Amino acid sequence: MVFSSIPFLFFFLPACLILYYLVPYKVKNYVLLAFSLIFYAWGEPVYIVLMLFASAVDYTNGLLMERFGTSAGRRKLFLCASVVINLSMLGFFKYADFLVETVNVLLRLSVKPLGLGLPVGISFFTFQTMSYSVDLYRKNVKVEKNYFTYLTYVSMFPQLIAGPIVRFATVNEELHKRHIGWNDFVQGTLRFMQGLFKKVLIANNVGALWETIKGAQAVSVSVENVSVATAWLGALCFTLQLYFDFSAYSDMAIGMGQMLGCHYPENFRYPLSSVSVTDFWRRWHISLSTWFRDYVYIPLGGNRAGTVRHLRNMFVVWFLTGLWHGAAWNFVLWGLYYGVLLTLEKYVWGEKLAKLPGWICHLYAVVIVVFGFVIFVFDDMGQLGAYLALMFGVSGNGLLGSELFWYIKNYAPLLIAAVLLSFPLYPFLKRKAESLPRWGKTALSLIGAAGYAALFVLTTAYLVNDTYNPFLYFRF
Amino acid sequence: MKNQFTVNGGEDRQPQIIQSITAVFLTAFVLLFALAFILMEKQEFSEGENRYLEKFPEFTFEDLKEGKYTEKLQSYLSDHFPLRDMFMGLKAETEIALGKREIGGVYIAKDGYLIEDYAAPENTDKIVGQFEKFEESVNSAEVSLMLVPTAVTVYEEKLPALAPVRSQLETRDEIYGRLDFSTIDCYDALMEAKKENELYYRTDHHWTGYGAYAAYTAYCEAKKITPLPLSRFEITEVSTDFKGTVYSKLNDAKIKSDTITVFENPENRLTVYYEDKKETTDSLYNFEYLDKKDKYSMFLNNIHPFIEITNETADSDKELAVIKDSYANCMVPFLVNHYRKVYVFDTRYYKGGPSGFINENGQITDVLLLYNMNTLDGDLGIGGIY
Repeated sequence: MVFSSIPFLFFFLPACLILYYLVPYKVKNYVLLAFSLIFYAWGEPVYIVLMLFASAVDYTNGLLMERFGTSAGRRKLFLCASVVINLSMLGFFKYADFLVETVNVLLRLSVKPLGLGLPVGISFFTFQTMSYSVDLYRKNVKVEKNYFTYLTYVSMFPQLIAGPIVRFATVNEELHKRHIGWNDFVQGTLRFMQGLFKKVLIANNVGALWETIKGAQAVSVSVENVSVATAWLGALCFTLQLYFDFSAYSDMAIGMGQMLGCHYPENFRYPLSSVSVTDFWRRWHISLSTWFRDYVYIPLGGNRAGTVRHLRNMFVVWFLTGLWHGAAWNFVLWGLYYGVLLTLEKYVWGEKLAKLPGWICHLYAVVIVVFGFVIFVFDDMGQLGAYLALMFGVSGNGLLGSELFWYIKNYAPLLIAAVLLSFPLYPFLKRKAESLPRWGKTALSLIGAAGYAALFVLTTAYLVNDTYNPFLYFRF
Repeated sequence: MKNQFTVNGGEDRQPQIIQSITAVFLTAFVLLFALAFILMEKQEFSEGENRYLEKFPEFTFEDLKEGKYTEKLQSYLSDHFPLRDMFMGLKAETEIALGKREIGGVYIAKDGYLIEDYAAPENTDKIVGQFEKFEESVNSAEVSLMLVPTAVTVYEEKLPALAPVRSQLETRDEIYGRLDFSTIDCYDALMEAKKENELYYRTDHHWTGYGAYAAYTAYCEAKKITPLPLSRFEITEVSTDFKGTVYSKLNDAKIKSDTITVFENPENRLTVYYEDKKETTDSLYNFEYLDKKDKYSMFLNNIHPFIEITNETADSDKELAVIKDSYANCMVPFLVNHYRKVYVFDTRYYKGGPSGFINENGQITDVLLLYNMNTLDGDLGIGGIY
């Protein structure tokens, strides 16, 4: 089930919340668990077994580590068991065919791919369960003795299929004892709505423009020229789509968590307003980059073991970060692209860059990010090459074409809104509002309230229409 | 997010109260619609969208396993959502207000026209092959082909500025060029006639009787027949509230309705036989459809695999077979004036290919293949031609 859909928004979520609020405190986790399992089974009626298995493994493993892990060596043994089982599962379901195809190409074999469907959210929940085992090994977290509580953590529907990757350590306390207050409900509702609006009104619509431009370059009919500027507009649209879609899921997750009394960490902090690549990765999908930092990069020695080791560590981390996003070489390429740029910023031009005017830094970062997402979006190297050729005008297309103005004419208000909202405009206005007189603040909140109401009606209209409403993380 | 406007120790609680009210309002909205959905009587058919709505899915374990059950349930929920038509219209109106001039393959054109885009043709080779094989399989009758450009071509000037449209004429000319039997151009006639009358509906993908009349004159010219002037027909406006298939895509109540005009030659003595229903009437129109949403279906009584029309007062003893899509349904009333018998084939449903029938009935002198350019590429009937 996706959040931005009628079944979820009008039936599943209200039913879950009503029941959750009504039942006695001790039963709340079970209600949450039951609804989470329904939520997952709605889209993955078969693979739900995998999720149950993964959480059973780490739960049992945790108990065993506590019981028999009397020495560091023994603890490590249990940790290895957890990591091996989780990674095998991920490897088998997500990467087996990728491996088969790569081996086929390299060794000119024709091994038949397994053709397994990717279980939704597997990359998210395996990373969550692994974080538990590692944190337990490091004694950063207490062992969880109740299987259902542990399963509730893994399966909790707000963050189950598209993140953020919430660590056990983060929610452990609230899993056992949480306060469910009115203010959290209000703020959670509003946060959820912000995410919903971002997904349905912005992400889906800029996504539709990206699909149009991508489609236009795929069909070779004379009117469908894609000029250089249009190709870049397309790439920008995909960037905006992914940002608004992904961060919207995080907004909705955080909002629903808050309604339930759980507080998740922020996952996006206006990444498209970055002034460097380093800055971008501090703002983009924070729960993933910190996961790799804490569980891969730092254990490998980070940047404290000499330049050569550091370079190796960067390579490993960014190879894996790329690969995590999907089982195809373009994702690896995309990861390594950032590995190289981050290394260059650290060793070559980072300091010089910081001295340049802000808008130049920003332009630099945005161009790199937009270009990066072109590598990200095409898992077919031929298509990627064709699209890059259009972006750099080597396929004989012009710099500008009338189609560009057609797209702008049709999408101008949306594009302007999307670009503005990529910057921290909302927090900025909120700060400004603090110096307003009392009546001004009241008027502003009234305008805000009317805005929420109007946008929600419009969002419902889009959902009822059943138009383009993709779930982008099937590959993750 | 917490305590957004807390100032001076939080004395000013008004903005927080407004936020609470907002959250309550949004929650109430959700609950109200969920409740309305549960209580509301479910419709089977959507007049506005002109389609059957999803029924409550029957549960099977197989469907659940493959994810089909939940998919159907999702369609069911959005199909029967309260005020669905209002919401659909709201979306279209908002987009139009924000400057969008193309919504889901429909151009919001000038003078209230909704014009369907022409999608990239993909089946030209197959179509040419089918036409060729058909023509070769016909023994003696003279075969001709007329491909009708749609509003996107004939009313190109009404499209919004910069609209990126493909040329239907290019595709048509490619098909014409590859065939070695008679092909008829009706584009020039349509371009001439559009100065006088509305040739296409503003809200439907079909042409009007006036459009069909223009093409009929082009057919007559090619066949050396003297066409009847419009003045020989009784012209009646039978409906002024026709909202067609293109309207249904947007379902925006603000869009104005179309007028349906029918043309009848009072001198004709017609027998119209619908073979599938074994029914005989004396009219090429079924006015009962005017009470329904899909009013274009009044022409030739909607869809039938095979219709046999006899006109005692035709000006020749020739016989014509028409193999066609729904565009022909409002052109046949003109053609019957010149053929004692007209046989109409809808090859989506007529099995075995019409050439067998045509060859068995040696008195058939002419065959007209008539399709519109917009649906030609995806037309299922093409497969049934031969």
